[in-house]
Amino acid sequence: MVERAYARRTMSTTISLRVNGQDERHDVEPNQTLLAFLRDTLDLTGAKEGCNEGECGACMVLVDGRAVNSCLMLAVEADGREIITIEGIGDAEHLHPLQAAFLKHTAVQCGFCTPGMIMTAIGLLAENPDPDEAAVREAMAGSLCRCTGYRQILDAIHEAAGVMRVVPAVEFGMRGPAGPSGVAPGLMAPGSAEAAAGVKVLGLPEMAP
Amino acid sequence: MSLKFVGKNITRPDAIQKATGKARFLADIHLPGMLYAAILRPGYAHARIISIDTTEAETSEGVVKVVTGKGCSDKYRYGDNIRDLVPMADEKVRYMGEPLAAVIAGNPHQAKQALKKIKVEYEPLPVYTQALDALAPGAALIHEDSGSYWHLPGVGPKPGTNIANHYRLRKGDAEKGLRESDVVVEAEFKYPFGSCAALEPHGAIVWFQEDGMIEIWSSSICPFIIREEVARVYERPESDVRVHIPEVGGCFGYKSDITVEQTIAYIAGFVPGHPVKWVASRKEDFTSTLLGHGMIIRMKIGAMSDGRLMALKTTIYHSTGAYSDTGVHVSIAAAHNSTGAYEYPHCDLESILTYTNTPAVGAFRGYGHPEAQFAQERLIDILARKLKMDPFVLREKNYLGPGKVTALGERLHQTNGDLRKCSDIIKKAVFEKPKQEEDSEYYYGRGFAAVMKSPKGAPFSSKSAYVKFNTDGSVVINCGGAEVGQGLRNVVRLVAAETLKIAPERIHVYTEIDTQFSPWEWQTIGSMFTKQGGRAVMRACQKTIEQMKHTASQVLRCDVDLLEYDGEYVYLSSDPSIRVEVTKLVRGYMYENGMVVGEVVQACADARLPRYSGFDENGQGSMGVSYTFGAQAAEIRIEKSTGKITVDHFASSFDVGRVIQPQQIRGQVTGGVMMTIGAALFEEVRFDETGKCVNPYFSKYRFPTIKDAPLRQTVQMVETPGTIGPFGARGIGEHPVIGPPPAILNAIYDATGIEFFEIPVTPDKMKKALDEKAAGGNT
Repeated sequence: MVERAYARRTMSTTISLRVNGQDERHDVEPNQTLLAFLRDTLDLTGAKEGCNEGECGACMVLVDGRAVNSCLMLAVEADGREIITIEGIGDAEHLHPLQAAFLKHTAVQCGFCTPGMIMTAIGLLAENPDPDEAAVREAMAGSLCRCTGYRQILDAIHEAAGVMRVVPAVEFGMRGPAGPSGVAPGLMAPGSAEAAAGVKVLGLPEMAP
Repeated sequence: MSLKFVGKNITRPDAIQKATGKARFLADIHLPGMLYAAILRPGYAHARIISIDTTEAETSEGVVKVVTGKGCSDKYRYGDNIRDLVPMADEKVRYMGEPLAAVIAGNPHQAKQALKKIKVEYEPLPVYTQALDALAPGAALIHEDSGSYWHLPGVGPKPGTNIANHYRLRKGDAEKGLRESDVVVEAEFKYPFGSCAALEPHGAIVWFQEDGMIEIWSSSICPFIIREEVARVYERPESDVRVHIPEVGGCFGYKSDITVEQTIAYIAGFVPGHPVKWVASRKEDFTSTLLGHGMIIRMKIGAMSDGRLMALKTTIYHSTGAYSDTGVHVSIAAAHNSTGAYEYPHCDLESILTYTNTPAVGAFRGYGHPEAQFAQERLIDILARKLKMDPFVLREKNYLGPGKVTALGERLHQTNGDLRKCSDIIKKAVFEKPKQEEDSEYYYGRGFAAVMKSPKGAPFSSKSAYVKFNTDGSVVINCGGAEVGQGLRNVVRLVAAETLKIAPERIHVYTEIDTQFSPWEWQTIGSMFTKQGGRAVMRACQKTIEQMKHTASQVLRCDVDLLEYDGEYVYLSSDPSIRVEVTKLVRGYMYENGMVVGEVVQACADARLPRYSGFDENGQGSMGVSYTFGAQAAEIRIEKSTGKITVDHFASSFDVGRVIQPQQIRGQVTGGVMMTIGAALFEEVRFDETGKCVNPYFSKYRFPTIKDAPLRQTVQMVETPGTIGPFGARGIGEHPVIGPPPAILNAIYDATGIEFFEIPVTPDKMKKALDEKAAGGNT
């Protein structure tokens, strides 16, 4: 019979932050990373741990609009910040243009790097809405993919950037709190003009005739 | 053949879960009562364990149990081919990444903290990190008792040495062939250790349950091998071991066989009733799972002055690491595939698999083919120069094709594909225009490689499929094939849609493997899923159609062979208005009075390669005459000031028989090419003389980033249908990794006149060679 051991909560700190449009208040350990906090405390497992050294980009999230390796940031440092994770940018009904473009170009293979890739790309396009290929390569160099050979990812980012320039009304991934419609930040409201425009410009992946 | 779904860019079914962050990988799984393990790795690569003191660790915060391997080697021995693997070091350690002790605690942090409090005393032994050192006379033995290990017939260690397996293939008389040749070329090549380095590190959860079940989750491609091995070792019926495979975040080979599960099972055995979870750190993923390659290849080719290849002699010294089981067949495959895409009338091909004090070497995308064909394709270019012959003319004279006989003794047919066509496509794409002239900044070069891939399986390597019709006419399909990103679920769906004539959206393909429900599959390796798994899906689908026709023949009162099926109805071929809906047949047909006839529409089927066999006394045998051919070429640029090599354009063409999904097949090729552009230019897992891995981090084991992606990748498929796979399809998963290293090194010669015989050619090595050449030195 095993006697279950529990962690003693030593020196824990309370943080307040906004995650995907929701206000959160939690006790965190001083050594807990933002990645561990998101995954273990909030059950947001879309950000992945590929190295825990900030060398692969699989854990990328937006902190106040900038793409950050969440394994390199402590949870206590996220106090007062606004965090957006892959779960906060789109869902099956209302894909973010980058998600739709990744599907369309089959830029998704094993999928482990995909959430981090998309969040890195959102960070890039927020700073530079019309990057040339060299700029994309530079900005995405910290996000590793072992499956695709990257060509499909470059194509997807290029195409999504085009869509997002056509639909400037939506600040994808960096909207404020959920509006009255209850739509999470970064989502295109269902049936909205923005969503329709995005889908139209992008075109959806081919489905069976 | 007019196809409706096969060959179309239909989105893969798992893409949306993955792109929305909802796909569930091993690390995302949490179970009630879960405990966490951390594993201690030794301070020596080869040493006797004098003592392990766990007292202090046991009282560390949150610790439930501290575990050592003491005495485990008598009871717990693993291995499919050679049972040399122990779950935890017992009496001695054989490599620095080996599990030596473990802490089970309430959370991973507590477990890691306690590890630091374990004290170990060692008696160091000599360390060998390369096969040639471990083979030297008088070398200390890494496995003193290798003679007592169980092994499959035909493979096994040579007691009293560090040789884990010796394979030799003889076709014709190589000595005579070489003697009679007009020209002989020879060289030694090195393909160093590499890591598959999937973005998702390896890991497992093991739970010994109250009812005697052992439940396991693993980021693996071999649930059934894990089940069979764990059941054997723990003396349980296989049915009492249940293995789940969630989404796998990349594999590329190293999550095959049993690699970490035996250790987590051993640890979890100390806390029955609690699931124990362990996920490798990135460092552990490099040092304590499987590595790839580690081969020195000595190759000698004899040819006539007209370019006819006469004889090939290959000797491969393969460093297999501390445990050889998974390396056995990689080593064998490297030897018998070292002919590459050419027919040699005389062959003497051998591989010497050698224990070393490094992590075990196992499957790595390509499975022996890239290593041996790196040597072959470099040496063919060298031979062409010696013969003063256009390398394309030399190759074309000797390509394997219909009527030609492989090293294994298999005669090829048209249905094995058209290598010449692939070769011509690549010649046109890369070599037709004049070569770019050197300028003040760069040298430019182009290089080519032809590619041959045999399947590597086992005589029992079946794959199977279960197809179930639902009452609304939708379909569920279950297979044992592991989705690791290659997209096999979409292959299953499209093949089934085509066969059953229903829309892919109406077909749900499994999202998890669970040995309790999934039909049996040996393991998802060898680029064989599309061919074999796809065939199993087709066969199961055809069985369901037959079931529906059989029931309909009773309902419509006619002979079964007069009926046709179109996805919606089964109807009389002479009068399609006489028909019955599929939805009325799936649970059997119910008459108005409530009576039901006919069976429930569901079927299981398997598929294997026909007449696949083991080896005879000459090392020859049958691969089910199932080969795939292709051609690849690189256009590169070498920066004069730094030696930095850039691949501007890479072109690949394979005869895949039939393209099932164009975007996915392109993704397999572009990804595979990128992976071994990395092997050619940067990647090497390095060990110092103490056996310590010096670069187990992404920042030091540099693999290609998006900045390294070629500006252009040409991917063009040839479709000469094969006879086994669905709609003629052959495999493609591993093939693209074979050609890039030799093509790039051939391009380096083309650009600079410098011969390299080993990879990676880093900027430092390139710059040094350029400087030496400029100084008039020999290279």
